Amino acid sequence: MIAGVGWLLARPGTTGATATALPVVAFAIMTALLLTVIGGAQSFWTWTDDIAVTYQALAVIALVLLVAPLASLGGAAARLSARRRDDRLATLRLLGATPEAVSALAVIESVVLATLGALVGVVAYFALVPPLALIPFRGEALGVEGVLLGWPALIAVPVGVSLLAAVSAVVGLRLVVISPLGVRTRQDAPKLHWLRLLVGVVVVVLAVGIVAVLRVAASAVLILAMLGLAFGAALAVQNLVGPWVIRLVARAQVRTARTPAKLLAARTVLESPKAAWRQVSGVAMTSFMAVFAGSGVAVLNAFGEAPDLESRLLLDDIRTGILITVIGSFLMVACSVGVNQAAAILDRRDLYESLAKLGMPTSTMDAARRRSVMSPLRITAFGAALTAAVVMLPLTGVTLIVAPLSLAVIAAVLAGGIGVVWLGLAATRPLLGRAGRVEA
Amino acid sequence: MSSFVIEASGLSKSFGPTRALAGVDLSVRTGESLAIMGASGSGKTTLLHCLAGITRPDAGTVGFRSGTGQVEITGLSERECSRLRREAFGFVFQQGLLIPELTAVENVALALMLNGMPRGRAEQHGRGWLAALGLAGMEDRRIGQLSGGQAQRVAIARAQVTGASVVFADEPTGALDSTTSSEVMQALLDSTTGQGRTLVLVTHDASVATRCSRIVDMRDGRIVGERVGAAEVAA
Repeated sequence: MIAGVGWLLARPGTTGATATALPVVAFAIMTALLLTVIGGAQSFWTWTDDIAVTYQALAVIALVLLVAPLASLGGAAARLSARRRDDRLATLRLLGATPEAVSALAVIESVVLATLGALVGVVAYFALVPPLALIPFRGEALGVEGVLLGWPALIAVPVGVSLLAAVSAVVGLRLVVISPLGVRTRQDAPKLHWLRLLVGVVVVVLAVGIVAVLRVAASAVLILAMLGLAFGAALAVQNLVGPWVIRLVARAQVRTARTPAKLLAARTVLESPKAAWRQVSGVAMTSFMAVFAGSGVAVLNAFGEAPDLESRLLLDDIRTGILITVIGSFLMVACSVGVNQAAAILDRRDLYESLAKLGMPTSTMDAARRRSVMSPLRITAFGAALTAAVVMLPLTGVTLIVAPLSLAVIAAVLAGGIGVVWLGLAATRPLLGRAGRVEA
Repeated sequence: MSSFVIEASGLSKSFGPTRALAGVDLSVRTGESLAIMGASGSGKTTLLHCLAGITRPDAGTVGFRSGTGQVEITGLSERECSRLRREAFGFVFQQGLLIPELTAVENVALALMLNGMPRGRAEQHGRGWLAALGLAGMEDRRIGQLSGGQAQRVAIARAQVTGASVVFADEPTGALDSTTSSEVMQALLDSTTGQGRTLVLVTHDASVATRCSRIVDMRDGRIVGERVGAAEVAA
């Protein structure tokens, strides 16, 4: 009987069409981007000459950098899918369904939505193949044959996405125990210890020290290893310090907010600085990498006379790779922000409607949620870029003098990326308009 | 004889095939507490929404008289309606529907800030209203740290802080136990009619309705009866 009722409750109603479509769209975007990234990287493995290994190593670094924003997007899609079910699962519990039955239904529903989305994502990937094939590396376009994935990958990725959805559903159910009344009590705003900052400063100082002693390093391998260590340490510290800095800024903004939108935005961020960080943390990694590697390439270009065409192409390709990784990262963050915001609007539909009844203009509500995303994003993007500049201080200083245009390009790409996220946010504005519509 | 603050005439409203209001005439006197009663689907919330400029009726008019003159709400644009609701009306909903991230005083002050008042002054006014409603010392608590009754008092403060001449309440005690419900209702009456303001309240709870000065009963989108409440009898 529970299974029958479960099916009735699981069926998307007319009012829940948007809520059903959104996770499907989110999983589709995630699958398409994942296949595109793998497709692009795959083309590097079709080369077999000596320098191919360098390209493959750089591709791996780019993939690692894209894991964070991709995971953030996947998490957002899974959370959106989970939020959609909470109320109906609580109803099932009230009807007497066992926790096991509720868990099973939750997992099945997530997997079905994820699979649907993944299949749409595969179709979208095929549409992206032609433009992807035009990207030039080593002096020529990658070509359709290079970036087109084989059947094993085209099957494995959707299966992986569905599995991710299943795992997220199980973890989500374990984290949020759905009571029969569906009551979720709000805790106090979380506190983040200042020790995070201390650890962060120590690690950055160590990284600066490592970079400073590079000139006395004996071999190229040691230099690469130490650079890798400095890079990794600085990235790790960002996850530690990022939420703390976001909270610190939000607290200051709460104190100084003079308009309803600013007050609402700052309070929203302060409610969960970790969530605000999670949403944009992918940008931290890419911003850091853009400055870190971009400075290095710019200096090499300015001073180093490339001995041959191959080396010159490699430097050009590293720059192309950096730009693609930064753009890809911002695209994923933009999608993740769009998905998160859509979920937040659906979650708070009653509140938005009541605020509209009170006479709060939709523009004020929109400005508040826009600030709550853009402020942490700006802190993250520019904070990470600044950290990289500090860690690579001698190099960034030299770059500023000998190749200011390279830094300007990096800054422009970061600014463009922030603009893309803003567009992702703007895409959910109509949803807010509908949520805040009081005319029944 | 009291003057009318709201006068509605011939209000009709349908949602698809469902007729929510079928030619309602209603006048609300300044300073009175009016309860609109009826079963689910009787049209009481739709009537409240039409009176407050939230929903536009298919036919009929709603006039609002204030110290500065008279406006026909049904002739206002959506933007003008929003402004009227923000500046002249207050609202209390069943669940309070306060903003959970904000503190109690920020929730109250927000209503004033939306009208352009500086935050410092807005919070000062907000603290005054919270104290008057028995919430002194709780101003900086977040909504999740308040009980249901306390949260509803914050909602009442938010509705009143702008100096609203009419407060509309939709099942304001619907989510509360009987004792808390009685206390919240008293706070609502004290802060509205007790200050010469007008209260229009929708409820299905007879014990809440009888505390108002006038009760109208609705059925199938029409007003089918009118009674005097306990507040009028006591007066």
